[in-house]
Amino acid sequence: MSASQSAVRSRAEAVKASRTFDWLICFTLFFVVLGGYHIHYMLTGGDWDFWTDWKDRRLWVTVAPIVSITFPAAVQSMLWWRYRLPFGAVLCVLGLLLGEWINRYLNFWGWTYFPVNFCFPSNLMPGAIVLDVILMTTGSMTATAVIGGMAWGLLFYPGNWPIIAPLHVPVEYNGMMMTLADLQGYHYVRTGTPEYIRMVEKGTLRTFGKDVAPVSAFFSAFVSILIYFLWHFFGQWFNKTDFVKAA
Amino acid sequence: MKILKDKVAKLSFVALLATVTASMFYTPTVAAHGEKSQAAFMRMRTIHWFDLNWSKEEVAVNDTMTISGKFFVFSGWPETVDKPEISFLNIGIPGPVFIRAGSWIGGQLVPRSVSLELGETYDFKVLLKARRPGDWHVHTMLNVKGGGPIIGPGKWVTVTGSMSDFVNPVTTLTGETINLETYNLENTYFWHAFWYALGLAWMVYWMRKPMFIPRSIAVEAGKADSLISGTDRKVALGFAAGTIAIVAMSMGNTNEQYPVTTPLQAGLLRGIKSIEMPVPTVAVKVEDATYRVPGRAMQMTLTITNNGDSAIRLGEFNTAGVRFMDANVAQDETGYPDDLLAEEGLTVSDNSPLAPGQSRTVQVTASDAAWEVYRLADLIYDPDSRFAGLLFFWDEAGKRQMITIDAPLIPTFI
Repeated sequence: MSASQSAVRSRAEAVKASRTFDWLICFTLFFVVLGGYHIHYMLTGGDWDFWTDWKDRRLWVTVAPIVSITFPAAVQSMLWWRYRLPFGAVLCVLGLLLGEWINRYLNFWGWTYFPVNFCFPSNLMPGAIVLDVILMTTGSMTATAVIGGMAWGLLFYPGNWPIIAPLHVPVEYNGMMMTLADLQGYHYVRTGTPEYIRMVEKGTLRTFGKDVAPVSAFFSAFVSILIYFLWHFFGQWFNKTDFVKAA
Repeated sequence: MKILKDKVAKLSFVALLATVTASMFYTPTVAAHGEKSQAAFMRMRTIHWFDLNWSKEEVAVNDTMTISGKFFVFSGWPETVDKPEISFLNIGIPGPVFIRAGSWIGGQLVPRSVSLELGETYDFKVLLKARRPGDWHVHTMLNVKGGGPIIGPGKWVTVTGSMSDFVNPVTTLTGETINLETYNLENTYFWHAFWYALGLAWMVYWMRKPMFIPRSIAVEAGKADSLISGTDRKVALGFAAGTIAIVAMSMGNTNEQYPVTTPLQAGLLRGIKSIEMPVPTVAVKVEDATYRVPGRAMQMTLTITNNGDSAIRLGEFNTAGVRFMDANVAQDETGYPDDLLAEEGLTVSDNSPLAPGQSRTVQVTASDAAWEVYRLADLIYDPDSRFAGLLFFWDEAGKRQMITIDAPLIPTFI
């Protein structure tokens, strides 16, 4: 067989080869994204995602969406502009969550015995689905950044509230009031994570009283828009095929 | 010859693989906390722990024990370490093998960070509830922002029983009693599984159709628009609308189910009450201090002045948690860890009672293998070669006085 001849001899063989290629690429992409996105998110979101006593209504709401919209934007860029496949964000979040759950269950619980109800990951799936749908329906990077980025930031807190609300029930403990999440952080000793490292309830949004979470979410959403643009371009740049073009 | 070389190479490779694989299965329990690796000056010139007591050496799962004692925040705090204006009373254990059921400084519960003053002495207590069976080295510990963890003395404690029996009951302000060990676990699993399944459904919808090659060809051919059908759009809008509706409804239901929630609690606790120490009636001047490397001994020339009304004797030198004692004057009766206790490690050239109003210059030698074992001898490699510690004097009535010393240290190598 010469180089100019086809590797397949029939349409059926071509379809079969194409599907095999699909699964190979999907499998590889999933685990590459899992590894890259996981490392990125742990380095930038880290403790906010590790511990329930970091999941506050100000900084967790602000930081987590901003640092997590990165890979979804880049992978969307590749899958959409080259293949018109609108599942980049969901693929990223599925990979991230699988990696996080493996890490939390085997490492945090299996090795160091932190209860899973203290170290479960944040839920990013609602924002990812909406981000993909907006890209698909508008076909516009700008619209996806503005509307999808906004949705990504705004859906984060309500999407997680059913999971964390039970841990925000107050408790009186030796004469002090704290939430159950605070109590988890106090009870389950972390020698390398003293209380002062926690970046919670810091900031100057005091005029909004108890309704600070929506304000934080809006701010996060605005920044997520900018980060979406940036990482979408990163995705496009990384997806260039210049290096495989014939000389 | 070549065949032989190849065989050797192959066998060597197999042996290497077998060694690497075997090493992966060797996972001994990690018990140390790096206390010996922490710079000697950090341990000698920051927090001085004393009068420590571990209430039990063996404790069953669900039972409690306490670590109590005092710590002196050294006045000559090193310049290279941030002052303990934001600190946290921690406990040095390998993960949550105990839970910290309570911790107090000066009688105040300290679940949050505290501000401590240089030159003050504080009493503390940590209540621990055993959770995971094993032999654990339980250390006192103070985290200092900008300084890192400052680990104190540790003692081995054995936890017996089974971790599966551990319970952590807590009663909330809404009147519900829960087991914090497993509370909210099913709810967490449910929501994560639910959203993961929804994400998978979205993926499956697109993956059931040909993906990369045919779609790439279509895009290259300018037929990208044909790749998204009307049905695709309807399904996608269904996913988006469903997602937003589920988020809204689940949030509403959660608020109904948990009408009382509060934000995470944070903030610095100031005004921690220190111990009012009596004004010392003993004055100590360090004339010189040398560390003799081959002999593992520190020698100090001290001029001691007794301004009190009772004769005194030097009984103990405590630095970095190591206690050098003159057994003729004082003995430990608290079960202090053996490796940190030099029961006859303190020698004073003339330790006869020093009468009131008198002054005496003496040679004091603190010698023990602990200098080497606890790597305190590494002080000579520190950037600021000074030592510090606590001297304890006893008067005729058995009353104890604590004096701090802080002076340059000259190593001698011969």
